[in-house]
This record gives sequence, structure tokens and C-alpha cells, in this order.
Amino acid sequence: MGDTLTDSEISIEQLLDRPWVCIVWDDPVNLMSYVTFVLIKIFGFSKEKAHDKMMQVHIEGRSVVATGSREEMEHYVQALHEHGLWATLQRDDKI
Amino acid sequence: MSEFARDGEAYSLSLSIDEAHVLINLVEQLLELLGEGDFAHHYDNNDPFAQLMAMQQEIAQPEDPVLKRLLPNAYADPEAADDFRRYTEPALRLNKQQGLRTVREALTILVDNESAGVIEELDAQLWLKAINDLRLALSVRLDIDGESFEKFENMPDEDPQKGIYAVYFWLGWLQESLLELLTQ
Repeated sequence: MGDTLTDSEISIEQLLDRPWVCIVWDDPVNLMSYVTFVLIKIFGFSKEKAHDKMMQVHIEGRSVVATGSREEMEHYVQALHEHGLWATLQRDDKI
Repeated sequence: MSEFARDGEAYSLSLSIDEAHVLINLVEQLLELLGEGDFAHHYDNNDPFAQLMAMQQEIAQPEDPVLKRLLPNAYADPEAADDFRRYTEPALRLNKQQGLRTVREALTILVDNESAGVIEELDAQLWLKAINDLRLALSVRLDIDGESFEKFENMPDEDPQKGIYAVYFWLGWLQESLLELLTQ
């Protein structure tokens, strides 16, 4: 019984700690150069990193561009929507 | 022929009168679709009660496909998406409206002068976003996909949509040229 309780406490803790992710999705309209430009502007990525993320969006259809608290990710999604990128946030599903 | 130019940190755009007319029409249509003014009062007023009341309104996902693209859901879960929208959509609409209004103001001056001209000292970041919003809006109406440019090139000149496709690709070219200047 004690073990079970400890396990569930840990899992709740893990759940609370599980970070949120901000995802950019591919669309056929936003120019590749524009997506790269916006990622540099909003996230302060290097040119190389922004280009890699943009290519991942283009080829794989999506890319996780930020990880952190829900509030931070909401802030980023809003900024991305202001720039016309298609972005969402969700709990990190890797755990 | 339209062209952005950069001199140090100063950006300008030269446009023919016809191009200015095309742009201003697009801008006004998109402003109308965004419900110009509808949401502004939430933010014109610093009264905390007015702001609180504004937050209580239900704002559903828009039905128009252009608005769905410009004001997308932030969450896959509809309930979380609606909740986020309730707090953020007025500001997002306002942000897009402000950009488009600034562009309209500059274009109106050109059109009123009834001659080709140059828009000086423009806010390049704002124009970049506004042009992108116009492209997004047109792309939804034209159902743009990866094959659209080929489709456009093979379209007979008498096709009534050909002109709209031409404007869409012209805006892409214009945006790309501004991006090149911004990243120089």
C-alpha cells in the first residue's frame, strides 16, 4: 500500500513537472525565408538553428520550437499567430 | 513596377497607382472581414471593470475560413482553444487591424495624389506582417497548395481567377524582396 501511494505521488509530481511545447506546423503559404526570419525574431535563434527548424517544419510537417511553462508557450503561440505562422501548444508527449 | 528599397535603417516602397489601388482594396476587404473596430473598445478603455466584462464574453472560433487561418486555435483540444481565444483573440485581431490600418493610411495618401509614388520611412516589420496576412487571406480563397504556381501558369488569360492568382504571387515576390532587404 505504502509503495503504491509513493508511486502515485511521484507520477503526480511528474505530471506537474511535465513541460509544455510550442509547435509550428507546415502550411503552403508562408515563405521559407519568412518562417526563418520570424523564428529568429521571436526566439532569438541563430540563422542556422532557425533554418533547421524551418526545414523540419517543411519536411516533417511540424517542429517543436520551444519547451517550458504553459504561460511561456501561450505567449509564444500568440506571437507566432501575430506573424501568421500556424502554431499550437500542448503538453510534451514524450513522457 | 513596385519595389522596396532600403537606405540604412530607412525603408521605402515605390508603387504604381494601379498597384496601390489593388493593395488598398485587398487591405480594406481584410479589415472588413476582421470586423474593424468591433474589438477595439476592449482596449481603448483602461477601466478595469470594462476589461473584466470584455473577458466574460464567449468568443467562438470564427466560421469564415480566412479568419480561421488568421486567428487559429492555439490548442487541439476545443475547450482549451476556446478558453485561450476568449482571452487573446481581441488582442490578436487588434494587432492585425493596426498593421493593416497603417498600410491603408500610407496607400491612401498615394491614391489621393492620383499618381505613382514612393512611401517613405515605412515600418518594414509591420509591412512584412501585413503583406503576409494579405497572402494568407488570398491563399484561403484561392485554395493555394504546392501545385498552385503551375496551375496559375497554365491558366488561360480569360479565366476570371487568373488576375487574383497574379496578385497573390506578386505579393509573395514583394514580401521576399522586403525580406532580402531586412536580412542584408
